[in-house]
Amino acid sequence: MICDSDLAREFWELGKSDSCPIYDMHGHMGRWQGIYFPRAETEQMIGTMDECGVRLLVFSHHDALLAPDIGNRSAVEAVRKYPDRLRAYCVVNPNYPDRAMADIVTYEQNRDAYVGLKFLPDYHGLPLTHGDYRAAWEFAAEGELLVLTHTWKDSELDGPATIRTVAERYPRVKLLLGHSCHGDWDAAVSLARDFPNIYLELTAVFDDRGVIEKFAGEVGSHRMLFGTDLPWFDPHHAIGVLLSAAISDEDRHNICHRNAETLLEPFLRANMLEEAIHDHETS
Amino acid sequence: MADKSPEPTHFFDCNVFVGSPAYQRPLLPVPKAGALLAEMDRAGVDRALVWHIAQHDASPQAGNRLVVEAIRPHERLTGCWAVLPTQTRELAPAPLLFRQMREARVGALRIFPSVHKFVANGVSLGALFGELVDRRIPLFVSVRRGMDWPDVYALLEDFPDLVCVICDHGSWGMDRLFRPLLERYQNVHVDTSQYLLDGGIDDLVTVYGERRLLFGSGFPESYFGGMMLALRHARISDQAKAAVAAGNLERLLAGAEL
Ligand SMILES: [Zn+2]
Repeated sequence: MICDSDLAREFWELGKSDSCPIYDMHGHMGRWQGIYFPRAETEQMIGTMDECGVRLLVFSHHDALLAPDIGNRSAVEAVRKYPDRLRAYCVVNPNYPDRAMADIVTYEQNRDAYVGLKFLPDYHGLPLTHGDYRAAWEFAAEGELLVLTHTWKDSELDGPATIRTVAERYPRVKLLLGHSCHGDWDAAVSLARDFPNIYLELTAVFDDRGVIEKFAGEVGSHRMLFGTDLPWFDPHHAIGVLLSAAISDEDRHNICHRNAETLLEPFLRANMLEEAIHDHETS
Repeated sequence: MADKSPEPTHFFDCNVFVGSPAYQRPLLPVPKAGALLAEMDRAGVDRALVWHIAQHDASPQAGNRLVVEAIRPHERLTGCWAVLPTQTRELAPAPLLFRQMREARVGALRIFPSVHKFVANGVSLGALFGELVDRRIPLFVSVRRGMDWPDVYALLEDFPDLVCVICDHGSWGMDRLFRPLLERYQNVHVDTSQYLLDGGIDDLVTVYGERRLLFGSGFPESYFGGMMLALRHARISDQAKAAVAAGNLERLLAGAEL
């Protein structure tokens, strides 16, 4: 049964938990060039979320990341179709500053769909400190938005040193380190300790035994966020890992939903999510 | 309340090692079988096919000895040895090797061609691997450690009937690499250890049947519980879950003539 805890029993038997809903803070949607996805369409992803007890997925669309000619519109459409289950990050691709600026200008019209911005420097090829990111950073800082950025050890573009620079420069941004500087766990810990606005997002961290315990012990579970890259990784795998790790059910509640609920609170219209879920269940 | 999901009868993990890696100290080391069994008990894993990290890091000779010592007191653990090309005559020759395996409760083999500096094909391995094929002795290979995809393709081209389990095939989208092998070679299997792909288990079992996928955790580098929970709630039949969780590995080990 993975471990002896109330949450383990519930997830083992039912696959989900009423008391511990999942807020997946790092998702995607649609196709990606380098992988076969059995469930990449919006409805298939909602099916997975239902089975795993994922109440809300915050995602950036693969089209927005890799097809500048499509951009963010697929993400906004998906959120408007499932407003009770989805929110999006507006992707900023610094290779096209004019289009990025257009997205920022129209952000207000899509505020119902967005909770912040998504940066993917290791793929887009420019460091987070590059001038073509500046307008986006300043916009995020002004609105105190969430910024989810890809981070990876040793990267010149989004590794720990670059993160330190932007964290110092933009303290009002809620900075979510996607993959937690994957592979340089000590650097992730230092960053989270030094900057109260930094959160450790766990996509692909779940595959490395011991890191969950390290982060919970050295930073605290109040700064850790659940993420799966869905449709890449099965949320049940991530949940099974959290149940395997030597942490408490309180830590698991923090990671799965409490921290996300706090971060998202300004961006979800008052009670809208709960109302929508209630409507869905009673219809 | 949703219906209670059925329990896979038990878990027999095909991909576990013990021992202390030489190149980097792990965050949560598992140097001895006792620590492994304690973690298996906590997770609810009944049995495991175990290799020793020294087989890869140090030498097959040292590691094979260590894994035998590790499993000897524990019926729940079955050993897995590493082998080399026969030309350098470093390990026992074929009939004796298999007898030693049987006596030590070693049920399968591994190779690590990249770090052990050999080419995994018929030229290097023909004398030994012809016997493996005839005796249906399972070979486990790791794409994370010791072999890359072209090596796996070359090996199977020379030994198309080899009973083979491809482990640690990677979490970033490897279906286009291993599915052609599943389709071409009927004795090829994959393990679950890095098959984190959402819907992957269901899709693979639907296309290739329940006999081609084996529960493997990748412990101690990965946790037991991740793929246990994924398998338990996969959209496949109870019978398929039981096969993946344990039945397929039991069948492969029982089918080997040592
Ligand atoms: Zn991602």
